[in-house]
Amino acid sequence: MIPYASRLVALLVLLGCLFAEPAMSERSPQVMLSFDATSASPRRVEESTSRAIQRDYAHAWQSMTSALAENRGDLLNQDFTGTARRQLRDAVEAQKQGGLSRRIIDHGHRLRVTFYSLDGSALEADDTVDLEIQYLAGDKLLSSERIPSHYVVLLTPSENSWKVRVLQELPQP
Amino acid sequence: MNLIRAAFLFTCYFCSTLCLAQLHGPGRVPAGTGATLQAAGSGSSILYIYGPGGAAKRTVQRGAINLPGEELQVAGRYIAIIDGNSVSFFVTPASLQNISFVARPSRVPAAAKGAVQGSAFLFDAFQNLYLPTTKVSFRLGTQGSAGEDRTVSSNQGVAWVQLDSGRRGGPADFAVYSEGASVRRIVQQVAADPCGIHMKALPASDGNILVETDPILDCAGNAVPDGTIVTFTSIDASGRSTVDARIKRGFASAELPSAPVATLLVAAGVVQGNEIHWGGVR
Repeated sequence: MIPYASRLVALLVLLGCLFAEPAMSERSPQVMLSFDATSASPRRVEESTSRAIQRDYAHAWQSMTSALAENRGDLLNQDFTGTARRQLRDAVEAQKQGGLSRRIIDHGHRLRVTFYSLDGSALEADDTVDLEIQYLAGDKLLSSERIPSHYVVLLTPSENSWKVRVLQELPQP
Repeated sequence: MNLIRAAFLFTCYFCSTLCLAQLHGPGRVPAGTGATLQAAGSGSSILYIYGPGGAAKRTVQRGAINLPGEELQVAGRYIAIIDGNSVSFFVTPASLQNISFVARPSRVPAAAKGAVQGSAFLFDAFQNLYLPTTKVSFRLGTQGSAGEDRTVSSNQGVAWVQLDSGRRGGPADFAVYSEGASVRRIVQQVAADPCGIHMKALPASDGNILVETDPILDCAGNAVPDGTIVTFTSIDASGRSTVDARIKRGFASAELPSAPVATLLVAAGVVQGNEIHWGGVR
């Protein structure tokens, strides 16, 4: 009797795991990101900060991708602040007015920290990113391109996460 | 003849189609400056433009298409699309206009090594990070003192400095300058730990021992703030008595219990002052 009960419990746990998996992956960031903090100055980036930056920056790209695809400025609030949030919200509003949208397919980032302030209140990084962007008017695909892009990013800590304050794309060298 | 005419017409049509496919952009343009797109051909068409801070759709006449500066204020990559043809161009930051300056801490002990830190973030008038490498000067000084200057080069729109605090207490100006833009913060320099506390002891009118310090200063000669706790201790045959007193107008004083023979001590925090052997045979 006991073995049957054990098997039943094991089966339920397995089923639970199978059903739980999609929900977990929906929440976890899908953005591929390699992280290098060896060039950070004047302060070394602590291990826990490194983990938080990777988690929050990847999440910020997910939020931005969704916001620009669905024209929902509210999706930016959790991960963006200051200038970056204002500019992206303006972009979303303008897209909404024109019936436009853009779909970003993110093929991965190489994030390299260049500056981490002594008081820990700001962190700047370079991001080399491989993006595919589709520009749409309604459902009509106007143009599509896959481009290697280079961004400079300024992040600042908030209560319990890092937020993107500046996200500025640079011309190709 | 008809065949030649047909070939000619086809060539013209093919060329015009090719020409229509051509759309030229400005390459790079400073933020807030207008730009012109060149769309080959004639007639009207719909222009789509996507940028980092906006997007637009409007009917335009082919040829020279002007994009106003207000549409090009956010630095980054833009794409213009007409009839399925697209061109990308970059808006680069305009000239340096604003500095965001983070100065820490707001209160700092005088004459402390590397205690004052400043980070400057350089922006143009449209809040784009100003990325060209540029000289950034920092200055920390109190009124009447030479102060400390440091000039560094910015890296990707950021410059930082770490300076020693000044020897004099009081409000210090901490300023940053670059290309005509400047920002100023106040850092309050306060006396550091007391340096060489000295007390004297006298018999009080009620028989107790009156102890009083000389003016309490830090090692740079700044008066230690009123309210700082000074601890007086008396050790005699009956044991140990301690009295905490606050500095008032630069001095601290207290009455210790009377004793024919006692050792009197004074301290503030971890700083010990002089020791007095009271009474007995010297």
